[in-house]
Amino acid sequence: MRPLTLQRLLLRCAALAAVLFVVVVIALKLGAVPVSLYGLGRDLIRVMLGQSSGLSTDYGMIVIDIRLPRILLGIVVGASLSVAGTSFQALLRNPLADPYVLGVSSGAALGAILAIIAEPHLAISPEFAALFTPLGAFLGAAATIAAVYFLGRREGQIDSSTLLLAGIISASFLSAIILFLMTTQIGRDMHGIAFWIMGDLSTPLQQKLRWVLGVGFVAAAGAIYTTASDLNLLLAGEKEAMHLGVDVPRVHLVVYIAASVLTGLAVSVSGAIGYVGLLVPHVMRFIFGSDHRMLLPAAAFGGAIAVVIADTLARTVVAPAELPVGVMTAMAGAPLFIYLLRRRFA
Amino acid sequence: MQQELRLQVPRVACTAFVMLLLWTGSVRAQSSAPGPDLTSAGRDVVDEAGRTVRIRQPVQRIVSLAPSLTETIYALGLQDRLVGDTDYCDYPDDAQKKTKVGGAINPNLEQIAALRPDLVLVTKSLNRYDTVRALDSLGIPAFATDPHTVDEIVSSTERLAEILGAPESGKALALDLEHHLSDLKQRLAASPPRRVLFVVWAEPLISIGKDTFIADALRRAGAISIVDSAQGWPQVNLEEVVKLQPEYLVFATGHGETGARDIDIFPSLPGWRLLDAVRNRRFAVISDAVNRPAPRIVSAIEDLARQLHPEAFIEVQEKEKTEKEIPPKSALLSTNLAPRATEREIPSDEASPCAH
Repeated sequence: MRPLTLQRLLLRCAALAAVLFVVVVIALKLGAVPVSLYGLGRDLIRVMLGQSSGLSTDYGMIVIDIRLPRILLGIVVGASLSVAGTSFQALLRNPLADPYVLGVSSGAALGAILAIIAEPHLAISPEFAALFTPLGAFLGAAATIAAVYFLGRREGQIDSSTLLLAGIISASFLSAIILFLMTTQIGRDMHGIAFWIMGDLSTPLQQKLRWVLGVGFVAAAGAIYTTASDLNLLLAGEKEAMHLGVDVPRVHLVVYIAASVLTGLAVSVSGAIGYVGLLVPHVMRFIFGSDHRMLLPAAAFGGAIAVVIADTLARTVVAPAELPVGVMTAMAGAPLFIYLLRRRFA
Repeated sequence: MQQELRLQVPRVACTAFVMLLLWTGSVRAQSSAPGPDLTSAGRDVVDEAGRTVRIRQPVQRIVSLAPSLTETIYALGLQDRLVGDTDYCDYPDDAQKKTKVGGAINPNLEQIAALRPDLVLVTKSLNRYDTVRALDSLGIPAFATDPHTVDEIVSSTERLAEILGAPESGKALALDLEHHLSDLKQRLAASPPRRVLFVVWAEPLISIGKDTFIADALRRAGAISIVDSAQGWPQVNLEEVVKLQPEYLVFATGHGETGARDIDIFPSLPGWRLLDAVRNRRFAVISDAVNRPAPRIVSAIEDLARQLHPEAFIEVQEKEKTEKEIPPKSALLSTNLAPRATEREIPSDEASPCAH
């Protein structure tokens, strides 16, 4: 295999970015309300030039105010989940590791549900109320991560199979609590929760949240990328990596926290979208190999592409109604995963 | 390797930065293009969820996100202003021809925005708060109703009519509904309430909580639910039902739906056959209008009252007949005897006038 040079890396990223761009343009065109490609191009150029006042009224509002933010949200959520999945898989040296298996998503879902239940009982200003559920989700994710991390330690060391098992058990325990709350609570918006558990990108984000999500993604993904070479060495085994000069505990801590932040952010704004964190890293490894300096950006692009496609299908297949995006990712993801699995061992 | 790595970190940062720019670009576009509503004349009202909503006047284009609200708009004669409703808005038939915006829980924001509504109507018990927030962020006003009793359904209808700019038809409709309800109250004054089980779903057994408008509708029809739960849609233990032995089982069914078929199955089902109501075929089947907090619920209440308390209605029917044909003396006799005869056993075809 030829060594990874900066040029090759940039070339591949450019190719992936081009694919993402095409997917985004198609996603912008498709939807319940038909939009012409010409009008779309014109409106997009106007927005980039800052002349949003010249948009054709309702049609511009639909594309720019509803479709574009939703697609961009899908990009960030998909990239976050996928990068988090790649990191967990490398860190735990286990192909099954992903934000779901580790219980982070269930923790976030429970946090969100507790926030939804508690909200009417607390005197919260309406401005903050919209941020309350995502905040609950993030705290739920953080608490679960900490719990699983401590449960997964043996003799002061992280043991990857213990950690995975701790995650699986925590996830099913938390799911049971969620179902318990859903059946016993008199609270409002319980059907909203059902939608939320399956993943949903249809709710526009508050502007403040967009900033938090954007900056959080850049910071956490950047932190993970600084360890890309160390993750490559970790694939050979922890002891071996240590002998090669890798500060294993530090890498563990940085990657674990950063990947958890990515998952927490993604789940707190979109609900639980399955299979992206598990499957996209495998597909990208299949195409680009397992050098994390290439794999991490590829996974980010791949996750973004996958979620944008899935969400476009989710909002067009049964239009004008909508499917939860998690339904689409699971329906496409599970068979694909089995295909990759069979092919790998064939 | 280290050198390569250092060069690549900025690459990721760049990609992310471009994405962030794109995103904030859309943020700017959104914030600089507020809906046209802020400039035109509007009226501030507080909706039933306690939110202050600025509604542009007059309300010419309405989107309804609940079947009950669609029915209410038709009942008020405002259907010409209804430009969109949900996939589940099936009554009256004409409502099915309106532009569909998806389901009540998962409506399509694009489709709603494309209809350029002056006002979107939602109801707190069915629609998601997320939907309302999303509409808010798009500058589309959403008015929420939240009736919990039959009285509140009537008053909510009247208020809605006033907000939509048709106060007269609202008053007329409310008066008519109140008249029907008070008439029913008088008729049922002498009849003790029947203890019933309202079956929302048979397997698993789901009934209604005591704080729902359906429970209130049952009370109006001279019935009381044996299920005493604060939950909205409690799952009920069949053992508990057998212990409490409801006098009647009440089903709500749409046109041509199951309901009636289920009734034939119950006597053979374990557990259910232990119920006196099943053994004696004491079933009341009413229109699914009882499930919707809309004006039509009053006719469903009347229908249920007729099935549970035939004695309260036979009197009048007989009187009307007797005034023409039969001498008054035998009429008196029949009113005294009729209740006992019908109370014991109701033939199933008579008990389900709405099943077909």
